[in-house]
Amino acid sequence: MQWSDLEREVIRCIKCGACQSVCPVFRELGAESTVARGKVNLIRAVIRGDVDAAGAGFEERMSWCLMCKACQENCPSGVKLDQLILAARRKLAEDKGLPLLKKLIFRLGLRNRRLFDFGMRMGPMFQGLLLRPAPGGKGMLPRLPMGLDMRRLVSPVDARPFRSRVPARVDVAEPRKTVAFFTGCMINYIYPQIGEAVVEVLKRNGIAVIIPAGQHCCGTPVYVNGDVPTAVELARATVDTFAGLEADAVITACGSCGAALRKEYAALLAGEPGYAAKAAALAAKTKDFAEFLAEEGLTAEMQGLAATATYHDSCHLARSQGVRRQPRELIAGVPGLTFKELKAPARCCGAAGSFSLAHYELSRRINDHKVDDIAASGAELVVTGCPMCMMHIRDGMNQRGVAGEVLHTAELLARAYGVEK
Amino acid sequence: MEQTVVAAVKGIVGAEHVFDRFEDRYCYTYDASAVTAGKEGMPALVAYPGSAAEVSALLKLANEYKFPVIPRGAGSNVSGGSIPCAGALVMVLTRLNKIVGIDRKNMVAEVEAGVITAEFQTEVEKLGLFYPPDPASKAFSTMGGNVAECAGGPRGAKYGVTRDYVLGLEVVLPTGEIIKTGARTMKCVAGYDLTRLMTGSEGTLGVVTKVIVKLLPLPEAKKTMLAIFDDMEKAAETVARVFMAGVIPTTLELLDNIYIRNIEAAVNVGLPVEAEAVLLIEVDGDKEVLDKQVGIIEGICREQGATVKVARDAKEADELWVARRAAFAAVSRVRPTIIGEDCTVPRDKIPEMVRIIRAIADKFDIIIAVLGHAGDGNLHATILTDERDRDEMARVEKAAEEIFRATLAMDGTLTGEHGIGLVKKKYLPLEVGEGGMMAMRAIKRALDPNNILNPELV
Repeated sequence: MQWSDLEREVIRCIKCGACQSVCPVFRELGAESTVARGKVNLIRAVIRGDVDAAGAGFEERMSWCLMCKACQENCPSGVKLDQLILAARRKLAEDKGLPLLKKLIFRLGLRNRRLFDFGMRMGPMFQGLLLRPAPGGKGMLPRLPMGLDMRRLVSPVDARPFRSRVPARVDVAEPRKTVAFFTGCMINYIYPQIGEAVVEVLKRNGIAVIIPAGQHCCGTPVYVNGDVPTAVELARATVDTFAGLEADAVITACGSCGAALRKEYAALLAGEPGYAAKAAALAAKTKDFAEFLAEEGLTAEMQGLAATATYHDSCHLARSQGVRRQPRELIAGVPGLTFKELKAPARCCGAAGSFSLAHYELSRRINDHKVDDIAASGAELVVTGCPMCMMHIRDGMNQRGVAGEVLHTAELLARAYGVEK
Repeated sequence: MEQTVVAAVKGIVGAEHVFDRFEDRYCYTYDASAVTAGKEGMPALVAYPGSAAEVSALLKLANEYKFPVIPRGAGSNVSGGSIPCAGALVMVLTRLNKIVGIDRKNMVAEVEAGVITAEFQTEVEKLGLFYPPDPASKAFSTMGGNVAECAGGPRGAKYGVTRDYVLGLEVVLPTGEIIKTGARTMKCVAGYDLTRLMTGSEGTLGVVTKVIVKLLPLPEAKKTMLAIFDDMEKAAETVARVFMAGVIPTTLELLDNIYIRNIEAAVNVGLPVEAEAVLLIEVDGDKEVLDKQVGIIEGICREQGATVKVARDAKEADELWVARRAAFAAVSRVRPTIIGEDCTVPRDKIPEMVRIIRAIADKFDIIIAVLGHAGDGNLHATILTDERDRDEMARVEKAAEEIFRATLAMDGTLTGEHGIGLVKKKYLPLEVGEGGMMAMRAIKRALDPNNILNPELV
């Protein structure tokens, strides 16, 4: 949505205030300017000329959004709140430019796949200088204050990215279906074991997997920060890589990547000659890992797992993609496993990608509710469909001393099949 | 506002509970009504007090330095009752959010003003008790705000409005005194009924900080049904007939075709999009009597030519309620600006009122959708328009005035549950007359000699 198109959307907000009851940021900050109704009215104020978009106050308030879409789901008028915030961020990026670090990563790094890959591969060699192993082998903690909170548990960049561990094609005898796997950055560089679990589970269930080597970042981090030109470039690259493949479906195993391929590309590429139809075709073909498997049905027998598990709904998987039922069905189907629902499974965990870098304290406070909910559930395993949520929930559980493991749905299933992670 | 005053406010409530940045203050220039103070009416400061003592200190400061104070809960009122004026202090009461106690034996509860209504209801229902007032905004509106506006809701047909449950209040007067009104008892005739005076006073006579409410036993069961009409008149007539048959439904909601179509587009629960009107009817009480009541109502509806669907289970009933609650905002799909009028007429005048509303819509060439808590005569004529269209807005203004005059001519009232606010301020003399205005102004002057509290409303 362009800035000039915003007014019509903005005045559709009848200021009823329903967003107050669901916004995680408002819950913590309490000021009217931090809830969707307030942000929409600030955008309206910019259009009217009452508020200066160049001011730090406006930019900061536009940054206070997790893109969790809870307000949108709850908005009786159907105001496209996320599109409004994105349009504002886009304008800010265009008018004021991106901060240098974001510009370097987005424009120089992400636009060049080989350079990005080289940088990420170099990561493991140097991260030991910056990160130290956390006690108990749970992850890494910063050695120096370098933009990361000193208590923040992060997962290191793996020495061997997922895509260099697996062949470009994993075949099975008499495949039921063939899928192409869009791995995304977190799985490729930080959690290759999720990628391995995805491939393993698919393989055992008679699904052949193509893993195109030329794939790149989906663009979500760039898009949500308002850098639309880079996001368009990344969207085109993904569409080009996946459009022509002989596959029955394109599989994602990250809520945000899936949301990008299925929802955001259509908007990003609407005005790109030749790309609109290809983006629509890719969107129609893309399915989340759990969604695809639940539809196809598991054919291979499981050993089972004796444990209690719960499930966290990633915002981009549950709200953007509407995938809620399928992961639960898969988890419930694991022999020996007890499933306990969280009190508020779809409440945002507070990670929201770069939001947790920019507003770490706030993202922790939001996460505390999630961790409390997990602790109250008594589950030993927390299952989710988004690697970013996994990292943030692990960090929260570690800081609050809550025991339990955080797993991707694919990892849980791989374990149930007896595959060591 | 002078720096010394700003510092004093920060001293009273703590600097972290005060907002003075432009962008933050701007977000208190509106509420859920169609009016806004705009840049010209910017509040000078926004403060979130944490106790009645802090509210009192702020009001004393306001009297000393003569600045206006606008109390506010969640800002969900639709009458413009919490719109500030330039230089005002907006006082948000959402930090007062404790349920002080629920007394099961005496069936009363005490809550702070900032408690969210639906959260309070959930807590009392866990104990088998019932707090009936249910404004459409209950998921985010506050108890204090409900008292200040005397909020109603769909259950009003049987259970009345907020006023009917308030036994007593803790109120900070405009001059800073903290007083208690009413009692924790069911009966109380000690002195003037200040509880009723404060309830519905729209933040002009005092700041409600605590509320004592009476509770009822939670009804054992309820049944929900939808009566579908292809004739609006017949639907409207059915309302009075149901009551005349001796049945008092909890809820009797009338929705016209514009509402039906747009709610269905918004929430997709299978409403009959071709119907001229529907009545959403709910009865509650002992299980044994519900079937009998449903039978009587069903019979009347069928006589009036309706087809009736009774919800089979809680899920189906819930879907109907999700639909009803989405109504007011769902029609914003038609035109971006919606103005919800709140006229209330005697129940038997509903068919006539609906006819008049439709005629006025035609006369001024605007869209008016009709929804109503028809069981208590409370009709929400909803004007669907576009605030950017000046010509149309002028016609809207004229149409609204005709609706108000027609309502009063039928022995009705300008507002059943939203309050007068800024939105209907100029029409109030039509209803209460010059004598009524004089009495109200005298009360305001007596309690608020410096005209501190929400001065623009009076």
